[in-house]
Amino acid sequence: MITLFHLSLLSSFLFFFLPRKYQYAFAFLLQSMLVVSTSAWAVQAWSASTPVQVALGIATWRGEITLQIDKLSAFFILLVNFICFMGIVYAAGYLQPYIAKKRATTISLHLFSFLWLNAAMVMVTALNDGIAFLLAWELMSLTSFILVIFEAEKEETLKTGINYLLQMHFGFAMIMFGFLLVKDATGEMSFTALGTYFATHNNVVVFLAFFIGFGIKAGFIPLHTWLPRAHPAAPSHVSGVMSGVMIKMGIYGILRVTSFLQGDFMVCGAIVLAIAILSGILGVVLAIMQHDLKRLLAYHSIENIGIIGIGIGLSILGYATGDPILASLAMAGALLHCVNHALFKSLLFFSTGNVYYAAHSVNMDRLGGLAGPLRLTSIAFLIGALAISGIPPFNGFVSEFLIYNGIIHDFASAGFTMFLAGLAGFVSLALIGGLCLYCFTKAFGMTFLGTHRSVHPYEIRKTHWTMLAALVPIILAIVFIGIFPEWVMYPLHESLATFHWLTGTALTQTAPAAAMSQVSLINIIFLGVMVTIGLVKWIQQKKVVVATGPTWGCGYTAGDYRHQYTPTSYADSLAQLAEPFVIFRKEYQPIGERDIFPDQRTFRTESGDRIERSAIMKVIGVLVKYLPQIGRAQTGHIHHYLIYPMLFLALIALLTFLQVI
Amino acid sequence: MESLLIILICSLFVPGIIVKTKALFSGRKGPGIFQPWLDIIRLLKKGSVYSLVSSYVFQFGATIYLASVIVAALVVPFDKYPSLISFPGDFVMFAYMLALGRFLIIISALDVSSGFEGMGANREAFYSLLAEPAFFILMGSLAMFTGYTSFHEIYSNLHYADRYAVIIAIIAGYVLANFTLVENSRLPVDDPLTHLELTMVHEVMVLDHSGFDLGLIKIANNLKLVLLNTLSINCFIPQDWPIVWQVTAFLFLQTLFAAGVGYVESFRARNKMAMNPQFILSISAISLILIFVIIILNNKI
Repeated sequence: MITLFHLSLLSSFLFFFLPRKYQYAFAFLLQSMLVVSTSAWAVQAWSASTPVQVALGIATWRGEITLQIDKLSAFFILLVNFICFMGIVYAAGYLQPYIAKKRATTISLHLFSFLWLNAAMVMVTALNDGIAFLLAWELMSLTSFILVIFEAEKEETLKTGINYLLQMHFGFAMIMFGFLLVKDATGEMSFTALGTYFATHNNVVVFLAFFIGFGIKAGFIPLHTWLPRAHPAAPSHVSGVMSGVMIKMGIYGILRVTSFLQGDFMVCGAIVLAIAILSGILGVVLAIMQHDLKRLLAYHSIENIGIIGIGIGLSILGYATGDPILASLAMAGALLHCVNHALFKSLLFFSTGNVYYAAHSVNMDRLGGLAGPLRLTSIAFLIGALAISGIPPFNGFVSEFLIYNGIIHDFASAGFTMFLAGLAGFVSLALIGGLCLYCFTKAFGMTFLGTHRSVHPYEIRKTHWTMLAALVPIILAIVFIGIFPEWVMYPLHESLATFHWLTGTALTQTAPAAAMSQVSLINIIFLGVMVTIGLVKWIQQKKVVVATGPTWGCGYTAGDYRHQYTPTSYADSLAQLAEPFVIFRKEYQPIGERDIFPDQRTFRTESGDRIERSAIMKVIGVLVKYLPQIGRAQTGHIHHYLIYPMLFLALIALLTFLQVI
Repeated sequence: MESLLIILICSLFVPGIIVKTKALFSGRKGPGIFQPWLDIIRLLKKGSVYSLVSSYVFQFGATIYLASVIVAALVVPFDKYPSLISFPGDFVMFAYMLALGRFLIIISALDVSSGFEGMGANREAFYSLLAEPAFFILMGSLAMFTGYTSFHEIYSNLHYADRYAVIIAIIAGYVLANFTLVENSRLPVDDPLTHLELTMVHEVMVLDHSGFDLGLIKIANNLKLVLLNTLSINCFIPQDWPIVWQVTAFLFLQTLFAAGVGYVESFRARNKMAMNPQFILSISAISLILIFVIIILNNKI
């Protein structure tokens, strides 16, 4: 297997020498090799009792670099491989117009980065050594940067890419800072050293450093600003992979660090929970205000990261207050939601890609009525929309159900503080569910239903078959988890064993996990009832006259596409409530009393993220103001530059003399 | 089994009683109690008219709506008698099942590209999002009060949990009754009998449904009204009464609720649309008060 792994990565350099006709086929081959080899390790790790060690054959001064695949890693590796593989299948169709249009080098660089992104994510989940981990982490950021700027000829895309790259490096610095603190205290720079460090030191500082570093990748508010820009800029198969699994690497990091926690559970849990609730609610509120479909989905990633965070936070708090059942149910919910979100979010991004491919726009102000021409895509999007709103019989419900159950189980025994935390999580989950329904009725309704909303109806390009084929396995997985949730309880239970503080309780023996068969029963009954009613309807309608006619316009017969609800008007009722978080501006010239025959007018709306503008841009504003002062040191004279190292050495000498360092 | 049976029985006459009460208060004789169901049967015999712009969503919307309400009925208990299916956290399932139906009916409304129906869809989504927390806070507080996590166990232990259970049951019943009004689009949130489409919520969403589909939607509405009503009435009936008394009390309270709805709708005007969010949020506020009452009773502070 290791040969296959090496072979796929090493031959990836051949991309740059291939004619454009064979590039995709070659990429598909290499991706399959990578996926097969790494999945085989993951499956092996699943059945083994100790972590599987895979020597990569790269000897360094720190010794041989080894992948250590335990059950948590295996869990994430399988997820990454599944979504990346579907991504490359989907890309076959999506990239076609670009392959003809773009230069061969651009395409090869793109496919090359896609492969390496997959490899980097696999390595991130399996490396224990600090430096190797940071390198893999950096590789992941760089390759995803190249993927985001695929359409670099657009200035906006390039700017977004650079913004993304910079923010990722801030995260990198925070993770490195965390590792260095550990190294300073224990002499070792690895995840396992965290355990030693946490046992003897205050847990909060290092946990916070890692949480910020990983949180940027995951997209917790207020560290989210790259996310709603980068996802829309990237091509759809990349957005699907980035939103589906790459931001989960941030969650993986947080989980890995959390699994070593030894003390201060209360503080760490409270921080995670507070940030997660903020992300969950604000993410979806901001999503509702968007009219760009991909941007809307990007904000939903923040919301789902929030739900995962609520699970993690409550789990830590549950352990801190001595409720192991809450701890394991909430963590299982968080883990399962990682899978669920990866599935439905990649499905939604891929089907949005189909919309873009077919109608050349993802601006919902122009779209509408696509359920006819893009029937299969619209069904896929509808399934994704129902799943992301946590509606049974789809998978999103199962993970939220686990977290809900953890909380209500805990209510009976919780103390006051824990009760408040639980209540906050409980109410925000309910609120997020309601907001999600609001948002996705809008997203689905505006894109696929009614008729077109722009002056000129667009022409529809037929989608390539792989762009639909890639959706099928994802839909099957969504429906399977939704209808047979009891089957995923055992793998979750196994993964939970990675957390040393969760080993006490068996997830599969808790009442809610046992209740999954009942959930499954209800879902099956639902399907049965639905089919029965459908059949009755079908039989009845055969006997009577079924007619078509224009939509009832309440007596007005000249209604047309302009009378439809638009994304902006649909979001309007929430805009007032969301005022503290969202900047919502309408620009128009009101019709005056004397305008009996109003001339043509324009109407423009704009929505912005108040947290980004007030909290983050202010800090950056201060930086932008003072950083040029440092730039003065760059004089352009070599002799000045020679003085700087001298000053540095003198400083080190002085500090050593004073025994500061 | 008892629960499903009694819910079905109640859904036969409750809608009729509302109509009858309104008729009596306005000085008319009014139709018979079963007239709403006779109307439904008439609708079920008809064919549908579909809008030219509508898609497959519109054709399936009503079917899934009814299926979701029927399945939600399976987890609702009658007093201490268990529902057909009961498991920890089944009330979460209940709320999300109803959300499924709501999702489909909202997108069906958006499917016909009518400004009016878009408006109704928007209001339905908005009000239900505001009302959802009230239900969850309430069920959470009852779960904490009784120490159980399923509908059946919560209701069968509600009156035994504490001697203050009466207070809790009354507040919970009140909150749930208000929640029922919001979810079923009755006064004061929505006026089902208004003649102006601009001021409707639920009725305007189903303007384009006709024949069989409209029949399905009406069945689902009747069933949903009784379902949510049952949740509220269960709070008021003591568990240790003999079953005959319980059934009598239950039927009496359902009738009383229906008559109450009819009374309110005869003498009250609908809220101004802009007032509705405030009204709905006040239900959540009351359930928050309930939760803090329970915290104090359980000595958690």
